[in-house]
Amino acid sequence: MGIQVRNVFKRFGSFTAVNGVSIDIADGEFFVMLGPSGCGKTTTLRMIAGLELPTEGEIHINGRDVTYEEPRNRDIAMAFQDYGLYPHMSVYQNIEFPLKIRRIDEGERRKKIHETAEKLGIADYLQRKPGQISGGQRQRVSLARALVRNPRVFLMDEPLSNLDAKLRATMRTEIKKLVTSLGITTVYVTHDQIEAMSMADRIAVMRKGDMVQVASPLEIYDRPRTAFVADFIGSPPMNLFAATVAANRDIVCGVQTFADSLKGKDREGLGEVADKNAGFQIGIRPEHLQIVKPTAKGAARAIVDFVEPLGQTTNVYVSVAGQKFVIVTDKTDARIGDEVGVQPQDGKVRAVSNNRN
Amino acid sequence: MSAKAPPTHAARNAAYYCLAIAATLFFAFPVYWMATSSLKSDTDISTYPPIWTFKPTFHSFAQLFSELDALDALINSAVIVGISTCLAMISGTLAAYALARFDIKNKNFIAFEVLSIRMLPPMVSVIPLFMIAKALGIFDTPWLLIAVYTLNGLPFVVWVMRVFIQEIPQSIEEAALIDGCSRFECFWRVTLPLLLPGLAATMVIIFMFSWNEYLLASILTSAEAKTLPVIAANAIKPKAISWGLASAAGVLMSLPVVVLVLLMQKYLVRGLTLGAVKG
Repeated sequence: MGIQVRNVFKRFGSFTAVNGVSIDIADGEFFVMLGPSGCGKTTTLRMIAGLELPTEGEIHINGRDVTYEEPRNRDIAMAFQDYGLYPHMSVYQNIEFPLKIRRIDEGERRKKIHETAEKLGIADYLQRKPGQISGGQRQRVSLARALVRNPRVFLMDEPLSNLDAKLRATMRTEIKKLVTSLGITTVYVTHDQIEAMSMADRIAVMRKGDMVQVASPLEIYDRPRTAFVADFIGSPPMNLFAATVAANRDIVCGVQTFADSLKGKDREGLGEVADKNAGFQIGIRPEHLQIVKPTAKGAARAIVDFVEPLGQTTNVYVSVAGQKFVIVTDKTDARIGDEVGVQPQDGKVRAVSNNRN
Repeated sequence: MSAKAPPTHAARNAAYYCLAIAATLFFAFPVYWMATSSLKSDTDISTYPPIWTFKPTFHSFAQLFSELDALDALINSAVIVGISTCLAMISGTLAAYALARFDIKNKNFIAFEVLSIRMLPPMVSVIPLFMIAKALGIFDTPWLLIAVYTLNGLPFVVWVMRVFIQEIPQSIEEAALIDGCSRFECFWRVTLPLLLPGLAATMVIIFMFSWNEYLLASILTSAEAKTLPVIAANAIKPKAISWGLASAAGVLMSLPVVVLVLLMQKYLVRGLTLGAVKG
């Protein structure tokens, strides 16, 4: 049950948009595909929707092979970035459309439309045309149109990216609440890491047609598998320090004390991470670094380049022997040019692969 | 030196109106002259200097119907242009949809090929058409002109409608496909209603092309399938031009176009300006 994507490729001429993606999405899961533009996330979603046919591979929805099935026979609903509302129909007719096409009788239709409109707070606009309502309301209409026929699978293609920041934050919570309460399997595409982190049960980070890492939001944040994921998630992103394994199996790194702090599970897992060809880096989240006295034991001596107070937190940009990185701390009295000690929190140092995948 | 006062809006608006009125007069006067001439008696028409007041008579119209068989020609024109316009619109719009939306190999080449029909000067195709028509036994029947006008209108419909279709956001159609439509249902229920302004504008234009077409009609018909432009030309007689008759034919020919434009006006304005402003 749920959605299975099996080794799916999509090529446009010589360009490979999706490069052998496999995912298994559980029934009722909220699955987010995250990545920069052109990474193949939307193409993957469109193949699940049936708007694009895969060049290779299989797609199953609820146990049925739908690889080459028409979109209408997949029992899916979709919300689009530009809403995809029918401009010549009223809001009511827009929501009614999927029911009408499926020949559901009029009384039933009316009941369902009013229920859904009520739930999404658009009951007052039913007689308006899409051109006469605001962007946020339009997106609600498009959600209502998608949800009115109780689909098993809901696909969303950057549904919030045309809204302003404040509205985006409210809609985010609303959508998450709504689809979770309805228990609909959801695949959500976005390039916004906050949306991904806050909404997803699992995130798939994509890059250039490949799925780089598929894991829970916290896992992705805490243990990014590759340098790309480490850099893409988190703001400011994870600090990365080039490292190598010496002949005696010690780790050599630009800031040696950080390499020495790699311990336990992360140290043991190094063999997996450190691909011989690609190499690896030591990664530490900015908020896992703390400023201490320069003389403190195990601290790296750093020069403060810049201090950026943000109110709640402060970004301190420092450098150690030409290697620049950032520390996020509560408050600091460090000034530009000061020498400070920098120490990673225990158990927060990670090894991150340089591998593209 | 005193500073010049900026021109007031009143002055500027007055200038605009004067220009607009002048342009309107320039374009409307020939129409006015044709309409009045069709209602003048033969002596009133030839009076010089021209007279502006006269006693209207339908003498020229009567002559048009009795001498030149205008009724037959009107029926021929209506049937030929009506059917060919419909055929060109239907097949052209469907072709345009395919060219706009589907992945077709060498799509642009195909579109160019369609357009190339219009690059051929009509005069060049007239003799072959004549011979083919003779061989098929359709010379001087409405079918020949229906076929010719359909082919003539088709490239225009394909090219113009393709642009109109491309302007409809694809996500609207995709939403319809996911909402449960087949491709055809999606075209019929969602795309077509949105295309109405474009369809109206295109239809009026190709209707006018065919309605006023003279060259092909004059050579490819002889008696039975004559259309209005052909009989209107008959007003020019070997000895003298019968201005009353010519004007009456002109009025008769213009009326359907005027009616059509008035009927379509609501769509036409939107159709002709669609895409100029982002909605």
